[in-house]
Amino acid sequence: MIRVVARRLAWTALVAWFVVTATFALLAAIPDDPMRALLGPHASEQSIAAARAHYCLDDGVVARYGCFVGDALRGDLGESYRSKRAVTDVLADRWWPTAQLAFAALALQLAIGVPLGVIAARRRGRWPDRAITIGALIAASAPAFVVGSLLLDVVAFRTGWLPLGGYGDAGVLDRLRHLALPALTLAAGGAAAYARLARAEVAAALASDHVRTARAKGAGERAVVLHHALRPGAAPLIALAGVDLGALLGGAILVEWIFQWPGLGRELLLAVLDVDLPVIIGIVLVSAIAIALANLVADVVAAWLDPRLR
Amino acid sequence: MTRAWLAVAVAGACTACSADHGPRFHAAGSRTPRAGGVLHVATEQHVSTLDPALAADEVSLYAIHAMFDTLVDYAPGSTALVPRLAARWDMSADARRFTFTLRDGVTYADGAPVVAADVAASLDRARTLPDSPYGSYLADVSSIAAPDARTLAIELAHPDAAFIYTLTMSFTAPAHRAGDGALAGAGPFTLAAWEPGVRVVLARNPRYYDAARVHVAGVELRENVPADVQFLAFERGELDAVDHLAAPDYQWLAGEPAWQPYLRGASTLSAFGWRMNVRVPPFDDVRVRRALNYADDKAHALRILGGTAEIAHGLLPPGVPGRDDALAPYPHDAAAARRLLAEAGHADGLDVELVTYAGDEPERLAQSLQADLAEVGVRARIVTMSFAAYQTAIGKPDGPPLSLAAWGGDSPDPTSFLDAKLATSAIGSDASANDSFYSNPALDDLLDRARAERDPARRAELYRRAERIVFDDAPWIFEYHRRAIEVVQPYLMGYDPHPVGIHDYASAWLDREAGE
Repeated sequence: MIRVVARRLAWTALVAWFVVTATFALLAAIPDDPMRALLGPHASEQSIAAARAHYCLDDGVVARYGCFVGDALRGDLGESYRSKRAVTDVLADRWWPTAQLAFAALALQLAIGVPLGVIAARRRGRWPDRAITIGALIAASAPAFVVGSLLLDVVAFRTGWLPLGGYGDAGVLDRLRHLALPALTLAAGGAAAYARLARAEVAAALASDHVRTARAKGAGERAVVLHHALRPGAAPLIALAGVDLGALLGGAILVEWIFQWPGLGRELLLAVLDVDLPVIIGIVLVSAIAIALANLVADVVAAWLDPRLR
Repeated sequence: MTRAWLAVAVAGACTACSADHGPRFHAAGSRTPRAGGVLHVATEQHVSTLDPALAADEVSLYAIHAMFDTLVDYAPGSTALVPRLAARWDMSADARRFTFTLRDGVTYADGAPVVAADVAASLDRARTLPDSPYGSYLADVSSIAAPDARTLAIELAHPDAAFIYTLTMSFTAPAHRAGDGALAGAGPFTLAAWEPGVRVVLARNPRYYDAARVHVAGVELRENVPADVQFLAFERGELDAVDHLAAPDYQWLAGEPAWQPYLRGASTLSAFGWRMNVRVPPFDDVRVRRALNYADDKAHALRILGGTAEIAHGLLPPGVPGRDDALAPYPHDAAAARRLLAEAGHADGLDVELVTYAGDEPERLAQSLQADLAEVGVRARIVTMSFAAYQTAIGKPDGPPLSLAAWGGDSPDPTSFLDAKLATSAIGSDASANDSFYSNPALDDLLDRARAERDPARRAELYRRAERIVFDDAPWIFEYHRRAIEVVQPYLMGYDPHPVGIHDYASAWLDREAGE
């Protein structure tokens, strides 16, 4: 087990290196001049040339890449062109809001999706199944910016129960109030996916021999569903959760923007608009590591739940 | 990005938003400014830096302007100059030497005195920081001297009567490092807190030299709030004003009589249209450039902008001295356009590339021009770039020959438009400010003479002649000047859009009922 984890960690480092290198190459290829974006339309050609020299943008892509990798290995990801803050500081500020949102969204989508999938599987072919299946199809198809905008207008604005976005600084309750709608928006599509997957897994398990045996031995319905149907069907759910968590930890660009959540996704959007190359690369690096690690954790959990996978 | 979708999402429902469609909050009716309260405003952008020498974006400058007073500034709601930290200033007869006398007894918020050498140091900083966008504003300065604590003398290599406007820009403000090492100014507000990407909080400067000018106790500027969400927050009373309204919100407000008194507008120092590289065929032929001006139906652009613009005859926006208000814009005249194109040898029409940048408005403006051009046989293919790529591309001599042009002047002075965009001296080799690559010795001569002219009437006359040359040579398809529109709560007074684009938090006051 330890050797597997070690191998996967090495693999994670390789993935991170590859993603960052690819991003570096892509950013070097775009025609945007980051200094024109930074200094604005009024800056003279001389000012832009001086700033380009200051940030070594004229040094050729290979030299810059070598410089970047050397610094990165020492834990220095450079500084933001725009704010002059160290990229590591920017990442340190932004990862925690994104992590809260990611775990809240994942918890919500599991809490909503899996029970609905189980209900649909047990009532297969009848109206609860149909309602859940159709609802899941709609939820999975609705883009986050539509769901988010509707929730913001209908739930937050009309009722006045919840804030119109923001982070919430006045304690845990205030944070949860600010977290509710962005997490729900992110969870809507995910919950639908879990409902469909759980339905398929549980339905297949319920029709299997071991469940028939369990029933024959007199197991209660609750035990049958939870222990004999859901637990063996959990591996694909956990694998999916791992993929989702990794993606969520990379930041949710649109949802964070709509709800003014100061996370990685929104920071990435702003960095792209400002052509703030060091920040873009820093966030891409964090996202790549998050995805790889979340998958690793998911595999470990799945193996722990299902000995056949070890 | 999300705006269009929010508009769709909200439009269906928001027509019946509140029971009565008027303001929910009211003014208490005070006739004189009341002190106290916190002004709540928001921006879709973010404050990137609070260092005046580095800030190039509008929103950072909102906060910086409130924290760093300059020697001279604009009067509230007007382009007239007023003394601020300078008690008075003087320009020499040859428009090359500017002498400022600082007010007596002005201090920073921590009590340290403001001295002339601080201004000299700020100017030096802008000249020497490699990533300051302002170095070139001082390219013509030959010497800066602070002979005593209250006197500053600036000498230019060439005459420039408009140089005084440079001293309104925040990078010239005196600044010093406060105890915490942060750069602090002598403005009406001090920084209370800054959470990047979330909010900037300003507090009234207790040591401000002109305490009577400042009314509110503080300002909260929320960052990165989408325009539509700002409007929802405004309706809930969480914001006291919204500028840069989203078009559907503006149109909704404009149709509500109860909101009319609270919609504020001002001409901005801007010029929009389509620039042509006049060195590249077919735009090297003035007949083609004029033909495109005749082909463009400016009424279409105004409709896209929901009436928040004024038609342009050139680059100088309304209110800039020297603008020839009698000069009529090119009319929409498809027959004249076709005739000119035929004379230029394009009777069978033309194929051109029309470059714009990504965004609802710039893309729709391009489509509108494309349709107008099609009417006269010019087949335009629209190319959409990211804003940063567009900005980089248009300053290159081999960049797109025809593209959207959007320019905001630094000052209410013709130099900020004509010298900046059309003088031969503004032509560069890679990031050319003169992105039409237009060069005309007759225009250069007029601009040089006007810069050196101290007499406002004679100066204005020179610019009127310059405007005529620009109009005839048509290096742009001149389209419109933008109006800044904002909506305020009925209890917010003294907070109007400023023609120069600054946000004057000091003049604002809140006339709220107790308990409301």
